[in-house]
Amino acid sequence: MEIKKTAIAGTLESSDVQIMLSAGSNGFEFDLESDVAKQFGDQIKETITKVLKMYDVKNAKIKVVDKGALDLVIKARAIAAVQRALDIVDAPKWEVLK
Amino acid sequence: MDFLAGGQEIGLNAVLETREWRQNYQESLEMQFPNEIVIGVKLNIPGPIKTSIYLKKMFLDGWKELLEQLRAASHEILFLRLFLDKQTGPEGMLVVTGKINQIKQLTILFESSFLFGRLFDADVMSQNGDEYQLSRTQLGFEARRCLVCGRNAKFCAKEQRHTLNEIYRAIQKLIDEDNQKSNNLGRTEDLAEIAVTALLYEVVTNPKPGLVDPASNGAHKDMDVFTFIESAQSLRSYFHLAQEIGFEFAGNSLPEMFNQLRRVGVEAERKMFHATNGVNTHKGAIFSLGIFVCATAYLQKNGVYSQSTLTATIKAMLINLLQNDFKEVSKKPKDKLSAGEFQFLKYKTMGIRGEAAAGYPAVFDLALPFLKSTKGNINERLLNTLMYIAGHASDSNLIKRAQSLTILGEMKSWSARFFELGGSQTVTGIQFLNELDEVFKRRNLSLGGSADLLILTIFAGRIEGII
Repeated sequence: MEIKKTAIAGTLESSDVQIMLSAGSNGFEFDLESDVAKQFGDQIKETITKVLKMYDVKNAKIKVVDKGALDLVIKARAIAAVQRALDIVDAPKWEVLK
Repeated sequence: MDFLAGGQEIGLNAVLETREWRQNYQESLEMQFPNEIVIGVKLNIPGPIKTSIYLKKMFLDGWKELLEQLRAASHEILFLRLFLDKQTGPEGMLVVTGKINQIKQLTILFESSFLFGRLFDADVMSQNGDEYQLSRTQLGFEARRCLVCGRNAKFCAKEQRHTLNEIYRAIQKLIDEDNQKSNNLGRTEDLAEIAVTALLYEVVTNPKPGLVDPASNGAHKDMDVFTFIESAQSLRSYFHLAQEIGFEFAGNSLPEMFNQLRRVGVEAERKMFHATNGVNTHKGAIFSLGIFVCATAYLQKNGVYSQSTLTATIKAMLINLLQNDFKEVSKKPKDKLSAGEFQFLKYKTMGIRGEAAAGYPAVFDLALPFLKSTKGNINERLLNTLMYIAGHASDSNLIKRAQSLTILGEMKSWSARFFELGGSQTVTGIQFLNELDEVFKRRNLSLGGSADLLILTIFAGRIEGII
């Protein structure tokens, strides 16, 4: 799946994460900002990567501003961002939401 | 947990959606007021329940405190919006004049200026500020500490180091400490206001079988909800007196405090009858609620209020009640007997006097723990509590109207049936109450005694912060 438009999900509140997806051509290019990047950076990237793969996204620029979000919040925000970027907000991929 | 009583669980999505809604709202405020400061205030409550009556009250207290601190520092408030009833928790938005660093420092000090401050979260933003959101550490304050272990809260949250129950216990402890502190300062709430609120909460709860509510006059032909509003208002000054008596009492004979209360109670009855054109709406409440207000004020003044000291104080106040009141009752002419006195002679039941002299076990052992466990909106919680009381207590008003003790068995089975049907949160439960109201009207039955106990339960629940 190709990202059709730049999309954003999430906020900059504490315990949240803001994920911005835009079209890319070189795999997943992360730009991660987090107070806990040293300890949790890889885990955050992995969670988002999994979601992108579930939607068959191969290339994307991913800007992440993490404010200490829990894993399930990161996943939910990633799903919302992908759906917005792929323009499928009205037709979510239900099996992914589980 | 007590502070979450009555709250409903919500899902993660509701929380995430509210965050995006909030950010959009705040951004639009920043655009509208590009040179001013936007403040978003909310509570930090972990877990699936984000709001409750207690939390809303706590939020309002903090919100008022913040407004006062802003005004004291001469910041002008240009925009103010409260969202008290959001399922994701109470919150509010402000736009104020000033410099972003000043305001951020003010909010950080606000968060640490009172015990609950730790549960508040005030975000400060400005479109033209150098930094979108300044962190505590950027301003030279230490990072927020974890409620449970005191370490950096960010890491505890991220690693989910503590169970929800541990955090709840820490919050409840904070709340209890604050209550203790304000009790020890001898701070008293306006108990008269709470008493009048309790009377009004009872009358608007509906549909109640046999009793007056806004939708039905039940089995009462001479009064309606307006009569009750007039009656409740007429008693405000009496409850103020009751509070004053408790607050001022310095003797060591608590029956003497009760005697003082009874003297003003006589005047309160007269006022009530005047307000209702001679109808008895709240005679039972004048007696019992007056005792509650007086005893609570006495204990708060002395910094020792708790449920157990309240029930003990009431018992001590009424130690001579049964003896005095029933001593001469057999000599009284029959037409001068109250329902309670008549039933004492006929059935040997002690009625509300017996209940009162025992320190209101029906309130403290039955109704209050039950109310605490109820879920749903206030009306649903109070309906369930009323039906629970009616099914478990012996209602002298019901006995009087049925002219037989066997009615208590019937009432028990009606109450059980109501809960079998799912109670007030189900359509069938409400339908059953409406049918029961018809039965009560036809047989001229009512639940005045249970209604009085509900009023006392609401009052005590308010003091305890569970409603």
